[in-house]
Amino acid sequence: MKKLKYILISFLMLAVMVANAQTPKGSVLIKNATVLTITNGTLEDTDVLVENGIIRRIGKNLTASNVETIDAKGKYLMPGIIDAHSHVALDAVNEATAPITSEVRMADVVDPYDVGLYRALAGGVTISHAMHGSANAIGGQNITLKHRYGSGNPEDLFMKEAPRTIKFALGENPTRVHGRGNGIQPRSRMGVEAVIRNGFNEAIQYKKSWDTYNTALKKKGATPVPPKFDTRIQTLVDILDGNIIIHCHSYRADEIYALINTCRDFGITNIVFSHVNEGFKVAPELAAYTMGASVFADWWAYKFEVYYSTAYNAAILTENGVITSINSDSGELIRHLYHEAGKAQRYGQLDDEQTLALITINPAKQLGIADKVGSIEEGKQADLVIFEGHPLSVYAIPQMTFVDGVKYFDINEDNNDMRLRVSATDIIEPIFLKEHDHRCMHGVDFFFTNFGRNLFDHTH
Amino acid sequence: MNMNPKLKVFSGFLFFLFFLSYNPLWSQSDPTGERRVTGTYAIKNATITTSPGNTISGATILIKNGLIEAVGTNVRIPNEAQIIDGDSLYIYPGFIDGASSAGVSKPADPERPSNFDPSNPPDENAGITPWRNVLDNFDFKNSQISDWRKSGFTVAQIIPDGGMLPGKAAVVVLGGNASTNILAQNTALNAKFRSVGGGRGAYPGTQLGIMAKFRDLYKNAEYSAQHQRLFASNSGLNRPEMNKTLQAFYPVIDKGIPIMFEVSNDLEIRRALSLQKENGFRLVLVGVTEADMVINEIKAANAQVLLSMKLPDDKITKAKTEDLSDEMKARTNRAKEAYENILKQAGLLEKAGIPFGFTSMGGKNSDLMKNLKLMVENGLSENGVLAALTTNPANILGISKFTGTIEKGKLANLVIFTEPIFSEEAHIKHVVADGYIFDYEIKTKKAGKGNGNGENGAVQIAGEWDYTSDTPAGSSDGLMSIKKEGDSYKGNITYSNPSGSGTATSEMKNISISGNSLTFSFEVAAGGMSLEVTVAGDINDDQFSGTMSLADFGSYPLNATKKPNQSKR
Repeated sequence: MKKLKYILISFLMLAVMVANAQTPKGSVLIKNATVLTITNGTLEDTDVLVENGIIRRIGKNLTASNVETIDAKGKYLMPGIIDAHSHVALDAVNEATAPITSEVRMADVVDPYDVGLYRALAGGVTISHAMHGSANAIGGQNITLKHRYGSGNPEDLFMKEAPRTIKFALGENPTRVHGRGNGIQPRSRMGVEAVIRNGFNEAIQYKKSWDTYNTALKKKGATPVPPKFDTRIQTLVDILDGNIIIHCHSYRADEIYALINTCRDFGITNIVFSHVNEGFKVAPELAAYTMGASVFADWWAYKFEVYYSTAYNAAILTENGVITSINSDSGELIRHLYHEAGKAQRYGQLDDEQTLALITINPAKQLGIADKVGSIEEGKQADLVIFEGHPLSVYAIPQMTFVDGVKYFDINEDNNDMRLRVSATDIIEPIFLKEHDHRCMHGVDFFFTNFGRNLFDHTH
Repeated sequence: MNMNPKLKVFSGFLFFLFFLSYNPLWSQSDPTGERRVTGTYAIKNATITTSPGNTISGATILIKNGLIEAVGTNVRIPNEAQIIDGDSLYIYPGFIDGASSAGVSKPADPERPSNFDPSNPPDENAGITPWRNVLDNFDFKNSQISDWRKSGFTVAQIIPDGGMLPGKAAVVVLGGNASTNILAQNTALNAKFRSVGGGRGAYPGTQLGIMAKFRDLYKNAEYSAQHQRLFASNSGLNRPEMNKTLQAFYPVIDKGIPIMFEVSNDLEIRRALSLQKENGFRLVLVGVTEADMVINEIKAANAQVLLSMKLPDDKITKAKTEDLSDEMKARTNRAKEAYENILKQAGLLEKAGIPFGFTSMGGKNSDLMKNLKLMVENGLSENGVLAALTTNPANILGISKFTGTIEKGKLANLVIFTEPIFSEEAHIKHVVADGYIFDYEIKTKKAGKGNGNGENGAVQIAGEWDYTSDTPAGSSDGLMSIKKEGDSYKGNITYSNPSGSGTATSEMKNISISGNSLTFSFEVAAGGMSLEVTVAGDINDDQFSGTMSLADFGSYPLNATKKPNQSKR
């Protein structure tokens, strides 16, 4: 009997392993590196042993048989960079047709062939938060991606352990698209708040009607009629229930504070503010009531509400105890987030550890994955980058990037053409700098491109 | 109804009398002169492939009133049969098009209500019209129907045009004009990942919204069906809200009909498969390309496949790499590999044991045989092609009981070639659809010499040509001027400007001449879009006779005459 149980359990284990074996996991021993652990200081001349995608040991003179060994003497090893605000690898970004589109999921439109993923890996970025755009007061559900470049299956990129997140947006974008563009609410910042509050109030009613139905179902012989099913509102219920983290596009302090109050009224604590150019004005409130702020290092003045900005923002927020990260929101900036973090240090005199936290453990906290990634600790997932030069030096160059212990970028094996998919007819494929103007644009101007600000007139 | 049995018989007799005297089939005269002398045909002594892999030679097919009456080497031919001599002819089951847009027009966009809210549009304004029947927007007399029949197709499932849920499909036989030719209607619910207006006009505007909207509609249709069942068997319940969009899903939920999802690449295939996995409907993937990335997933989901018969332009195979930089050389080679990979898709599906059919959507009938041959050269078996044109789509459409093979009792749907189907010189001489015989003129290629047009037997196309073309919008004319430059030709074509008055000029592209047949294409700008027009035809002396086809609109005759007294160059 005991034997049978044992056999059954081992079969079960096998099944679990097979189920988990969908994405590749690697083993590697990195030796003699200067390890920037983020959470435990800098360890000189230290080895890191990765087994089956997990950091097993950090120490000196580690050995392992049958494992690739990389000598990183004189090089820096840091955790994979995490971008808390990105739109790389998405076929569509904005379902800009309704002020609330909480039912849409970015997971549905992930494009694993986007070479932008490889470019991000070449910049040491191992995780990006693929977000809905900022056209709607409540946008779509985002997806946290691990940059397992090379698979044609979008699901292989999903970080399945990551909690659900959703995009919100305040200010000029939702009011321009819906108010000015389509003549519907929200037309003003007040309207944005009203849309969000109405959504949550509706969610409370919706939850009640389904609770009533489900309770009635349990009664013997009862024949209750199912209420209307609506994923849009159900998702808002999930936010109220604390199952989804809000990531809110925002600039102005008054609006940020207003949304903090809205969240407090509805008992919501899982909220991160994105961009937050005026965050420095409400830093204590952000520290007290939110999961932090994800900011640009020095990107502003691309529209009226983004003029009051400062390169000291990240430092002020950090010193006020706000969990702060620096994000890219761009397929170009994502390649050098370590430079972006360096700017915060240049202006705000943050120390190295504080600065590197802006692009590692802090965004991990904001995405709800800090127990798995974001620092070099035994037991964490082996998302790692080897740098030539300290990553906060302007001369820093990423050498190798690992996700789950698998090497996805190596500067010495960096072929000219890293595209996964190519056109069967065109040698030079067209690049669409702007979404092509089909019919029915209805005066809604374009508000997102996946390119660097200095190349094109980028608007957020 | 309680009727005296005698009266019942009497009224039945009356009805019969009425029928007898008014049914034109039995009428004494036929003022139109269109009625056939006989519906009985015998095709004698032909090589007949009754189904993929099964061929009998020296065999006869007897057709009677639309059905195959007999097939074999020992068939008695009745006196009333019209005999077609099948010596040296090769007969195959008529082709079946798994999904076609031939003859289908797009319903007019509904007016937007004055209180139109793009975030919550009426279903009809959002491309959500699953209650529509494609037959309401189908014209059997459209030239596309005869074009595809000319290529061997005898049955097609026609697909409605519109937004994300355009409506329901129907199966038609490409038979004679006297019949409605409908074999079945409401055969599948159609879906696609394209919204009306393609953007931000109304919800849902992108694939994000389409995926979400689809899920909600499906779920609510399930709840709505549940409500209706409850209401029917209980009292004291609120009445169910009748909603034609949700009701249109009921046969899908009951698994009576599949959803046919139009897909344009592997990622869209995955999206359709994930919707199927979540909801459990029967799925037919329409327009499959890039299947190699998802073959296991398609198999696991037991989804049915209609492969696109369209292949990409082969211009990359002609790209010269000698003078290119290493980088460009490498890029060109990758593009070539990508092209070759697309040609392999059909063979890969066959190898994986997925019994796929074809869809003509987006394709041109003039490319059909060329593309099929390319697929064969790249791994698809010849029997695999035949199966994909006949038995597989018959199974996918659920019509194999009455068509798809040449057997006694099946619809008389045949395609008759002058040579075995895949040989170089094979031409379609007749197509039999629903027992109607359609004859096609075989243009024998003239030997180069004695053409009279040019030196060394080559057709001389350089010069100015006056042409006329006939379209449903009327007859139009213009000028083609062709110049020879080196080994290739360049030219311009004029036509009446579709967006305004006067004439417009376009460059003639891909001018190619082989034997006496000339092909070229040009682009016409109309309504903010660029339409590609391809022209193909034969030159005899100073006359060009051919057709011009506009990708999705059909093909129309185009004839040209070379202006006399032009100097040869």
